[in-house]
Amino acid sequence: MYEIIGIWVGAFFTLAIYSFLYKENPVYRLAEHLVVGISLGYTMAITYDVVLKPRLIEPLLAGGSWILLIPALLGLLYITRFISSIAWLSRYPIAFVLGTGMGVGFPLTMKSNVLRQLEAAMIPFYQEGMPWHMVLGNVVLVLGTLAALIYFFFSKPHKGFFFGTGSRIGIWIIMLGFGATFGFTVMGRISLLIGRIQYLLGDWLHLIE
Amino acid sequence: MNIWERMLNIDRRWIFLSIGVVSIIPFLTKIGLPVSTTEEVEDIFTYIDSLGKENAIFISFDFDPGTQAENMPMGVAVMRHAFHNHVPVFLTAYTPLGHGMAGGALDYVTRPSTPGYYTSVDFDEWADIRNAGITDRDELEAAWEEAGNVLPDDSHGWVFEGRDFVYLGYAPLFHLVILGMTSSIETQYPSDAHDNPLSEMPILREHKSLREVDLAVTTSGSSACTAWVIYGREKIGLPVAFGVTAVSATDYYPYIQSGQIIGQMGGLRGAAEYEVLLQQNGITETTDKAFTGMDVQSADHLLIIFFIIMGNIAYFMGGFHRKKQLKGGR
Repeated sequence: MYEIIGIWVGAFFTLAIYSFLYKENPVYRLAEHLVVGISLGYTMAITYDVVLKPRLIEPLLAGGSWILLIPALLGLLYITRFISSIAWLSRYPIAFVLGTGMGVGFPLTMKSNVLRQLEAAMIPFYQEGMPWHMVLGNVVLVLGTLAALIYFFFSKPHKGFFFGTGSRIGIWIIMLGFGATFGFTVMGRISLLIGRIQYLLGDWLHLIE
Repeated sequence: MNIWERMLNIDRRWIFLSIGVVSIIPFLTKIGLPVSTTEEVEDIFTYIDSLGKENAIFISFDFDPGTQAENMPMGVAVMRHAFHNHVPVFLTAYTPLGHGMAGGALDYVTRPSTPGYYTSVDFDEWADIRNAGITDRDELEAAWEEAGNVLPDDSHGWVFEGRDFVYLGYAPLFHLVILGMTSSIETQYPSDAHDNPLSEMPILREHKSLREVDLAVTTSGSSACTAWVIYGREKIGLPVAFGVTAVSATDYYPYIQSGQIIGQMGGLRGAAEYEVLLQQNGITETTDKAFTGMDVQSADHLLIIFFIIMGNIAYFMGGFHRKKQLKGGR
């Protein structure tokens, strides 16, 4: 019974959101606000259930885990933002999270997102036995990367063979990238529509399996 | 206003309506256009297919309901593959909303109303067998059936909680949780989402940290997937595979080129490819929701291409490329 009610509620709010395509209306705004509110409420409930309760409250009540009071106190300092006279205290947990996050993440992020990518771009155009399409791919990869970098080099005017032609090729390479991204974006948006139609035609109306 | 101007100033609601109609018809007519598979999806399939009960994988539900249509079929398909090969699975989530997504995927795969479902055995239900010291996957199944349990005819097999899977769910600051799990999974998750203690689970005794895990598949609707590369791959060399939304697929191809991930499922298409591979290799009898949606995807793409061509014809035939502004002010 509850499942059926849930499906009907889901169908109603799906149609309510899509009613915006005709024009903005109060039903759409109701659904929009509910999405935000319910998401936040759900997040709070899950956070309490799987984080605060098993990782803080229960160990504290069981005794012996008094060290947990330190992160608990730091976490509570976030709430001081709502009291202007002591709002500055909230900077401490923010500083702690930012500092540890940067310290832990910076070396690994540099390695993963910069050094590895540089390494992957430093490849030989040709090796013995390599098929022609891989050679072509390597040439496009290396020259395309260089051309795109030239386009983003603003300390020299984009004139002449090196900077002028290089930056023009760079624009083409970037545009090709945008085109591929746009194509994928269209596909993604249609996929989301497909998901909702499957829900409406399948779960709600039972017209499809 | 001539015909070209009218074409360029068409009320966009007609376009929405035509997309809506074209999106519904293929579901009812079931065209069944073929879906070919790509190397980046085949690589994930082949890798998981080579694993067995002595290995383990993570499937991380790093997305919110907003991208459920794309990401959920990926997680479901990989989970089915792992269950079929008895590969132990850890289910995690990057966000609180992803916690529900992971639970939803597990529920879908083990729900009797789902075609080709797996029959789930709760952790407490097989406590007696566990306490008798039987934890090997094959011996466990034999002991379970000897105890009088019969697998339903339409079920694909048993999956034992704590042996075949563990639903860990969400933990805050998940990128640091990944980092912590490189040393110990249990310190990051003392209990699972069903409040079962991890210390008693055979899956945890054999795979104590990410160093003893063979793959992490992250299904992600944001940049959360990169956390697995940064903190898992770069820290301990954990093999990682991506299942990302179509919108962000192009952003992550460089990770394939650099060898940081073994493969990538991009959008609904990537999920459909995995479903096709499951069916072609006899792991499932039929494909699932992602494949069903591909007819609609193709039909919608054809319609959008038609609109783009018609828009360009109207633009150039009407001579608007020589004018600064269209008459409708657009």
